[in-house]
Amino acid sequence: MSAVPSTWRTARITPLGELLAPPRIAGAVVQLTIQIVLVTALWRGLYSGTGGQSTAGLTREQAVSYAVLAVLATRLRELDRYSGRDTVIQHMHFGTIVYWFLRPLSPQRYYALRALGDQLYGLAWAVVGYAVCLAAGVIQPPVSGGAAAAFALSLLLGQWILYYIMLLIDQLCFWTLRNSAAMLILIFAQNLLSGVYAPLWYFPDWFVTLSSFLPFQATLNVPLSVYVGRIPLADVAPQLGLQAGWVALLALLTRLVWSRAARRVVSQGG
Amino acid sequence: MVNALRVMWRITRLNFRAQLEYRAEFLMMIAIGAIWQVSVIVFATVLLTRFSGMGGWASADVLLIAAMRMLAHGLFVLFLGRMHALAYRVQEGVIDAYLLRPMPVHRQVQLSFFPTNAIGDLTVAVGLFAGALARSRHDWTAGQVAFLIAGVLGGMLVEAALFTAMGCAALRYPASNYWSQWLEELLGTFGSYPLNVLPKALSWLLTFGLPLAFVAYFPAGVLTGHSSTLGVPVWLAEVSPLIGLGLYLLSRLLWSWSLKHYTGVNG
Repeated sequence: MSAVPSTWRTARITPLGELLAPPRIAGAVVQLTIQIVLVTALWRGLYSGTGGQSTAGLTREQAVSYAVLAVLATRLRELDRYSGRDTVIQHMHFGTIVYWFLRPLSPQRYYALRALGDQLYGLAWAVVGYAVCLAAGVIQPPVSGGAAAAFALSLLLGQWILYYIMLLIDQLCFWTLRNSAAMLILIFAQNLLSGVYAPLWYFPDWFVTLSSFLPFQATLNVPLSVYVGRIPLADVAPQLGLQAGWVALLALLTRLVWSRAARRVVSQGG
Repeated sequence: MVNALRVMWRITRLNFRAQLEYRAEFLMMIAIGAIWQVSVIVFATVLLTRFSGMGGWASADVLLIAAMRMLAHGLFVLFLGRMHALAYRVQEGVIDAYLLRPMPVHRQVQLSFFPTNAIGDLTVAVGLFAGALARSRHDWTAGQVAFLIAGVLGGMLVEAALFTAMGCAALRYPASNYWSQWLEELLGTFGSYPLNVLPKALSWLLTFGLPLAFVAYFPAGVLTGHSSTLGVPVWLAEVSPLIGLGLYLLSRLLWSWSLKHYTGVNG
């Protein structure tokens, strides 16, 4: 078997599972639609009381675009690997984690390929949702061609950071056996500190300063702010540099943790 | 009856001790309840400071909606919240074993593990509730206090009814877990604010389509004197605790029906 088909076969596991379950697809469509309609109505409703004034540097259109894009971006995050019993916590529970270390495919590579397939599948959803929202006039197009390019690069780096954070939480299982609480904390922290709940610009200064020391705001707040023009193109370079810095740091850290984790797994009696 | 209560208490104590087996997980579970609720408070505070008055409600009144919903949610998680994981219990074939034991299946599902995160949920909820009551300028009569308690319990029952219905779906469709997670997020996001911020059609949908308005918006509206702007007849808002009870009873009927038609993972 050549490398490409094996890569493809691993990456497509979750998308294939999703495509074979039509109720999930229908569910995703309904949920995404309701979420977008509600979020749009909420922000428009809130701005209707301000008399068209911008708040925290965001106009009504910018706020709605930001909020809807944040909803679409959540599709990129975590897909259901639990039903297929392929999460690290389940492998720990059932003792099957050992097979990850006995296969010709290394666990690092397997994990990365699964995540890549999941995120590409999620991206397809986000792109379709984006096209529909753009055509319906719910969100504005990017402020300029340069902003669009910077947004795409920043989103890529943001997803990369998110991948490493999710990986770190999964790696936690090698020491604590369980990570469901940590995973929930992570999802909430990511929602709050990256701007899924409300654009970070609305938060008090101390909150924004605090979140600038954490990797979460680099996952979503930076790309979305670039998209809506809240971060001007001239100020994008340092932000991209910061994102790249987080990618490098987390890559080194997770690599180190994988090697430590491998030492903790005992196969076939040691 | 006394014996059943004694058995439930003993199982709960054992479940609590089982949760203590993984110390880090136990502490983080308490933290998760607290963090989730604090995030709701931060979001509400941010919106209230940036946008003066939501839908004509003063900030203290909006906080009362958030506090009532949070307390109702905390009580739901503590007493009736185990339906979330039901899809996995079905997948594992555990329900088949429950059917063979001399205890109602619903009760066994509720006693399947101790909800540690409810400790964090309730701690923050009680704090926010105390804060909301302190900021409220209303003079509380005995009748209003009684309605407040009934409203919180009714809110708990509405949420329990929704998730019991999701549990019924989980007995048949494994993918229903997707909907449970989404529903929880939706309740958390839109259950804590005045729904008149939304267009009429949407607030109608969140009243009669998905009875989210009965969780906290209507009871809080009655208590804070917004009855006439709720978009429904005043009497309907006033009986929301009873509607919670009615919905929960209906969901339990649905549960009994669904369980009779349960075929298990092996068909």
